[in-house]
Amino acid sequence: MEQFEQVEILLVEDSALDAELTMTALAGSRVANRVVWVKDGEEALDYLFRRGSHAGRSDIAPRLVLLDLKMPKVGGIEVLKEIKSDARLKRIPVVVMTSSDEECDVAKSYELGANSYVVKPVDFDALAEVTRQAGFYWLAINRGIAV
Amino acid sequence: MKTYPGSESSAAPADAPALLPARRLARAPSIRRKLVLVMLATTLTALLVAIAAMIYYDLRVYQRALLQDVETLADVMGQANVAALAFDDPIAARQNLALLAAKPNIISGAVYQARGTLFATYNRRGTSEAFPKLPEFEGARIATREVIVFKRVIGGKEILGTIYLKGEYALGEHLASYLAITGVVLLMALLVALMMSAWLQATITRPILQMRDLARDVMEKRDFSLRATNTTDDEIGYLAEAFNGMLAEIGERASDLERSNESLEGQVQERKAAEANLRRAEEELKRLNAELEERVAQRTEQLAAANKELESFSYSVSHDLRAPVRAVAGFSRLLAEQHEAQLDPEAKRKLGIIRSEATRMGALIDDLLAFSRLGRQALQFTTVDMGELARMNFETLTAADDVRAPELRLGTLPPGRGDRSLLAQVWINLLSNAIKFSSKKERPTVEVGAISDPKEHIYFVRDNGAGFDPRYGAKLFGVFQRLHGPEEFPGTGVGLALVQRIITRHGGRVWAEGALGEGATFYFTLPRSESDGAV
Repeated sequence: MEQFEQVEILLVEDSALDAELTMTALAGSRVANRVVWVKDGEEALDYLFRRGSHAGRSDIAPRLVLLDLKMPKVGGIEVLKEIKSDARLKRIPVVVMTSSDEECDVAKSYELGANSYVVKPVDFDALAEVTRQAGFYWLAINRGIAV
Repeated sequence: MKTYPGSESSAAPADAPALLPARRLARAPSIRRKLVLVMLATTLTALLVAIAAMIYYDLRVYQRALLQDVETLADVMGQANVAALAFDDPIAARQNLALLAAKPNIISGAVYQARGTLFATYNRRGTSEAFPKLPEFEGARIATREVIVFKRVIGGKEILGTIYLKGEYALGEHLASYLAITGVVLLMALLVALMMSAWLQATITRPILQMRDLARDVMEKRDFSLRATNTTDDEIGYLAEAFNGMLAEIGERASDLERSNESLEGQVQERKAAEANLRRAEEELKRLNAELEERVAQRTEQLAAANKELESFSYSVSHDLRAPVRAVAGFSRLLAEQHEAQLDPEAKRKLGIIRSEATRMGALIDDLLAFSRLGRQALQFTTVDMGELARMNFETLTAADDVRAPELRLGTLPPGRGDRSLLAQVWINLLSNAIKFSSKKERPTVEVGAISDPKEHIYFVRDNGAGFDPRYGAKLFGVFQRLHGPEEFPGTGVGLALVQRIITRHGGRVWAEGALGEGATFYFTLPRSESDGAV
């Protein structure tokens, strides 16, 4: 796991292939240089709360979380709930990026405070475009606040 | 057949008053007793009248005979004593008087001289009667128990003296003996009367009593086959015949009644059986209903479970099926981009096929999911401006640069009642089809309009595109059913199935008209009234 001084995007994705595609798309779009990929919800929480294998992490919190929903162990909904119920972390914008187009998932995500909900397209060009636009919006257009 | 009065009414009342006449018969004096009494009374009356008349006559005769007898005796005594008186011979007179002893009913006698002095006397043995001092006038008279006769004794033309006779007048004895005889006669008469009544019973009373017994038997046993057997020629015989006729009639009527009762009872039984059948059927129906309800509840539960399963299935599909497809599409793309130098054109072409097919797979999955989701989604009914919805979606669909926008002829559309987002989906699918299939025409035209009737609004989308063979029109609305190859016109074959599903859930219908190469018209209806629209 590479460590960056300023992590711009935390990618929470259980599928390595999806993660690679997403990161390739992000790299191609050049909106974010530093992306950290964690492979499930448990690791995501460890990373965000600096515990477990990420206990000694020095860098500050990411500026954007790209969150998959369906993951083993701790699911995306659980992660979202933890983030949004933490006084400090809840300022980080969370974009739910998932294959699920189910109404219940969309509703639940917004209910828990997701900042955006994006259905991952099957087509790579479309996926790259969606990822690029989401990253560009949240990192470049949107005025965030340091956490 | 003769109808006897009262034969109908006697057949009708069945049980209650049946024993009454018989009982009354037993309590009242029987005919036999009445007959005996009548006979005895008649006999007694006749006898008493006859005897009384006889006694009266007999007493009168006795009295006259007695008087005559004593007067004659006095005459005889007078003749006998003429000489004694004439010669003043009392002894002779006494002797003459002593002859009276031959007549025991003469109590005493006396001879008086013309002057009136007692000349000679006679007393029946054992009696000492006093004699009247002077003779009375000539004649006979009856004192209480005696007959007293004075008779002048005539000698020549001169009264010589008077004869006095006193005889017994035994009326009481006479009467007593008469009464005794009467008593004996009465007794005998009564005996004869009783015998007569016994005979009468044999000839008159017995047939009547037999009739009575027969009547009682008929009443008590309700047996109308009994018949009177005494058929004599007299009135009782006629009565018996009439009674038999009446019994036959009553019996016939009773059996008629019984038959009709039986048939009635049969009908009642049939009716009861029918009612029982009906009840059984009702119970069966109730049981079946309960069973059906239970089954419905079971099925509903199963259906809910199946729905739940389907939901989790489609959730998995949407998530897990997309990921590999996306990887296939993404990595073939990356391969084509990042390793372009190592690939010859043929390899690039094949990679392109992999990518586009993976993308199509993704679209299929998406459409299939949308289709399955539609069955579960609850409808939110509002009044929807259909014209606006159609126009908006047409503009959205033709906004992209690479789409060749056809001419839109939009008519006036009545508002529809339904779920806005689903109706929007209907417009999108129908309009995109119209745009797609007319895109190869020189002047593509899409016409949107509506026809209304009192029951429903009929909306239609017409294009002048590729059309379809009407023989396969029915297949248009099936899932994954396509009448054109993907090379000719892209598509998954879910769009029209989705339209049909949405419209069906709104209570409407869909159909299509068209001909190959001459365009197609797709119709869908929405019910007019709000209640009809609810699903």
